[in-house]
Amino acid sequence: MRCGIIEIENLSVTKTVCGVLKQVNQEESDTEKAAQDGLSASSSTRRIHVCLNHVSHRFGGRTVFDNLSASISSGQTGIITGSNGSGKSTLLRIIAGLLEADSGDVTFETDGSYLDTQMRRHMIGMVAPDLTLYKELTGAENLTFFASLKGIKADRAMLVEALTEVGLRGRGRDLVGGYSSGMRQRLKYAFALLGRPKVLLLDEPTANLDSDGMAMVERIVRCHQARTDGALAIVATNEPRETSWGEPLIHLERGE
Amino acid sequence: MKASTGPNDASNWMAQARCLFLKDLRAELRTRVAINSVGLFAFSSLLLVALATRGLREVMTLRMLDLPIDIIRPADVTAAMFPAWSAASKMGLLWTLLCFAAFAGLAHSFVHEEEAGTVTALRLSMSPAGVYTGKLAFNLTLLFAVALLVTPFYMGLTGMQAGNWPVFLTLMLAGCIGLGSTATIVAALAAKARGSGALFGAIGLPIITVFLMLLLNAANTLYSDSTDAAAHTIKTVQDVGGLISFGILLISVSAFTFRFVWEE
Repeated sequence: MRCGIIEIENLSVTKTVCGVLKQVNQEESDTEKAAQDGLSASSSTRRIHVCLNHVSHRFGGRTVFDNLSASISSGQTGIITGSNGSGKSTLLRIIAGLLEADSGDVTFETDGSYLDTQMRRHMIGMVAPDLTLYKELTGAENLTFFASLKGIKADRAMLVEALTEVGLRGRGRDLVGGYSSGMRQRLKYAFALLGRPKVLLLDEPTANLDSDGMAMVERIVRCHQARTDGALAIVATNEPRETSWGEPLIHLERGE
Repeated sequence: MKASTGPNDASNWMAQARCLFLKDLRAELRTRVAINSVGLFAFSSLLLVALATRGLREVMTLRMLDLPIDIIRPADVTAAMFPAWSAASKMGLLWTLLCFAAFAGLAHSFVHEEEAGTVTALRLSMSPAGVYTGKLAFNLTLLFAVALLVTPFYMGLTGMQAGNWPVFLTLMLAGCIGLGSTATIVAALAAKARGSGALFGAIGLPIITVFLMLLLNAANTLYSDSTDAAAHTIKTVQDVGGLISFGILLISVSAFTFRFVWEE
């Protein structure tokens, strides 16, 4: 153990409330079936512990944050708050393994093993303002492409379901370049949920979304929290409605 | 303890590369950004070459027809011009043209990912090996297509002969591989540095100079009038082999270093 872990036991919530997360690949379907048959203890139900160990980062001469330590485990939703420019997005990128901290590190630990960057990324679904999908492809083509990269065979039924769940049914054949900013944000959720990732990282989760979209995001987060296979979420936001989705993880002050 | 196996290990990076290649191909056929920039550059250069060398071709034609060219051009001028327009020189000019055409279009593959912000989604979903292989495959395909279109036109315009066809084709193939691999890794570096065009040329120059020197060596051997067939064959194998080795070396080094470029 490299850091103290606060473990919270999962609530026994049934999965029937989670229509939004039905898009599973064959492997995970089999795993779920096996779990239902009482053959649990597969790798997909392993608990994950994410630890931030004395993480510091600076851009040029400006320290964004210094000596941050925190931890979060399966079943929890951690909220990162802080003013504009305090480093919330940067911290999420460091957690995702997209950016290396100047000092300290972030570890993903499961069953005593620390995951390398590629393994870590494979279990992450991320929505962020600087994450963009291909404008020259259609919504369905984007999902098919990223699903195939993750080893998921995206058939028509799965695509329709994924697009329906984010409110883009009937728009899958349109180029993303022709989408509104809200539709692009919805498509990012369809992308983030591909392969049913265990770790959900949301940066400004309801940016550009209307009230229906905001409700959709909340439903996604609630369903993610209700999973019993070791899922966790980290949300970077300042919206009061969103901060109520989980427990405060870190509050960032603007650095110097 | 680090988990050693993962979703992006050797078992599926080839599949990821294939997906990226097909995605790039689909996007390119839809937007035609790289095709247009490479094609426009290549064919405008061809036109300029045709206009600029018109006089040289006239002199060549007159010489081939055994006409008294001294009537048209002063002897000292033509004497100076002929060596500069040998078959090897034509080959050199062709590759200079292909180099600039490649640099005009191939940078797009990585720069576009950075500028459009799609690089984050790619990094979350792909291994560096898959990205490098997919982009390399796309750039090589584009370069082969351009070379296939431009070379016959160029040969027609300049009267360049192939010489020994198998050696000529091997040289073209090795040249495309060398140029494509150079352009791919340099494009990745330039994209990360967010410098795009200008930086692309600056970083690529040292590598491309070595590549062009090897290529011109091979071209000189291809078109040399050696009377010793055995020595000529050995020299051809050495030069073309050197060119192929350079391409393989560049791809190998790029494959090893790409991870650091991609992750920074």
